[in-house]
Amino acid sequence: MLAAIAITGMMLVAADHIDAPSSMGTTADIADFYAFEPAADSQNTAFVVNLQTDVLPDLAYGTFDEGVLTEINVDLDGDLLEDFVIQAIPRNGRMYFFAGAPDQTGLDSGVMADAPLGDVEISGPDAIVETTDEGVSLFAGPRQDAFFFDFFQFNAVINPDINSAPGGFLPPEDATDTFEGANTMSIAVELPNSMLGTPTAQNALGLPVYKTWVTTNRKQ
Amino acid sequence: MHSLKYFCLPLFALALLSACSNDDNSVEMTAASCSDGLMNGNETGVDCGGPSCMPCGDGMEPMQPDFTGTYSQVDHMGRPGINTVLSFDMDGQPSVKDAHNVTIPSEMALNFQAGFEARVEQYHDVYANKLGLDPMDVNYEANILGLDVTTLTTVLAADVLEVAPDAPTVYFDPGTDNDGDGRILVPDGDEIGLTGRRLQDDIVDVSLILLFGGAEGDRFNGQDLDMDGVADLPRLTSDGVGLTAGNITDNFPYIGAPE
Repeated sequence: MLAAIAITGMMLVAADHIDAPSSMGTTADIADFYAFEPAADSQNTAFVVNLQTDVLPDLAYGTFDEGVLTEINVDLDGDLLEDFVIQAIPRNGRMYFFAGAPDQTGLDSGVMADAPLGDVEISGPDAIVETTDEGVSLFAGPRQDAFFFDFFQFNAVINPDINSAPGGFLPPEDATDTFEGANTMSIAVELPNSMLGTPTAQNALGLPVYKTWVTTNRKQ
Repeated sequence: MHSLKYFCLPLFALALLSACSNDDNSVEMTAASCSDGLMNGNETGVDCGGPSCMPCGDGMEPMQPDFTGTYSQVDHMGRPGINTVLSFDMDGQPSVKDAHNVTIPSEMALNFQAGFEARVEQYHDVYANKLGLDPMDVNYEANILGLDVTTLTTVLAADVLEVAPDAPTVYFDPGTDNDGDGRILVPDGDEIGLTGRRLQDDIVDVSLILLFGGAEGDRFNGQDLDMDGVADLPRLTSDGVGLTAGNITDNFPYIGAPE
């Protein structure tokens, strides 16, 4: 008995690529989230949020949904409550970004229309990038999904049937990347750490870190 | 397209008609452009109004988009693969995965740590059975970071992605075999990790090592214990796949063009 995910032409596998029943395959489906220092000694942090990955390369990528607000949450002091939020929401072919300390934390949000970060035309296959006077870079559009994982073998591995993948995952010469050639809808923002603030939270190795997470939120 | 003679009447206060010219020669009528910073064509304000452009607001500027309303959370992600791998939906029960996606991080450990720990042990039971062993004998073993299963799942249950502002980003890099003991994954002082996630980081292998790798990171590595040419242990610490997207760049937005 294989894992009950049907492989059809219209399958959208986000994971956080392989997501929960309610969000899987919807325009609010978060496929992936990256946060990184873009270059050695950079004073910026870059975030990439991928929505709605298509597994099969021949599928056209989707579009951004005007009813979906994407939020990147940043916790500075380690209490796991957001101290700074970056919002992205599309309107009329442009992606609008807002950023600042939220009035309220939690599951419900409003757009911080008084705190615009900038906006950028939503790209086609060629990237359109906007850089603001404050040194913030903005992008929204289709991209190649960088995620790599032998998802099909993973399903066989977790299948409790003793005849299913008794050897576990495959060696490199036999393994395949389920996501090779897949596309996704990306939102990318890079901003100076001075805008985010100075974190006092630490990771398990004692280094100061921002604790971050991304949510999608649907208009009520 | 016909050229039109264009007469520039001196009574127009705003000299914004781009085809205005004292020259009597024919000039082409430019089509209205809704984003050229000029009031032209059939526009009734700058870049707004008329049949082609967005409506004007009060001050003859384009109306701002409507950002009003309440937006309610439907999905969440911190570290990769957490909800997928460690939340277990049972038939006939409310979806744990759905619940995780609408829980705020500060409340996640309370609600999901126990389930995550049970799921880790369940994975070990699955492979005990596949190996013909008693599941009671095959359990999670403290990983290369020295975390027991309760501590590990408590850390993972609070699902956030840490990113360091003042350190190079890597999900986990064991560094070198600094102490020369032949075991690169066992910490010896020059490992770095938990400082963020780059597009090229092999988060699947890191996660598998931390979940199934035991103290030295290679507990289930497809080993041939009796040297008979056949693997005796399953391969659980790597999925065998590396980065395939070859178009990641050093320039924003870093992630490459679609296929």
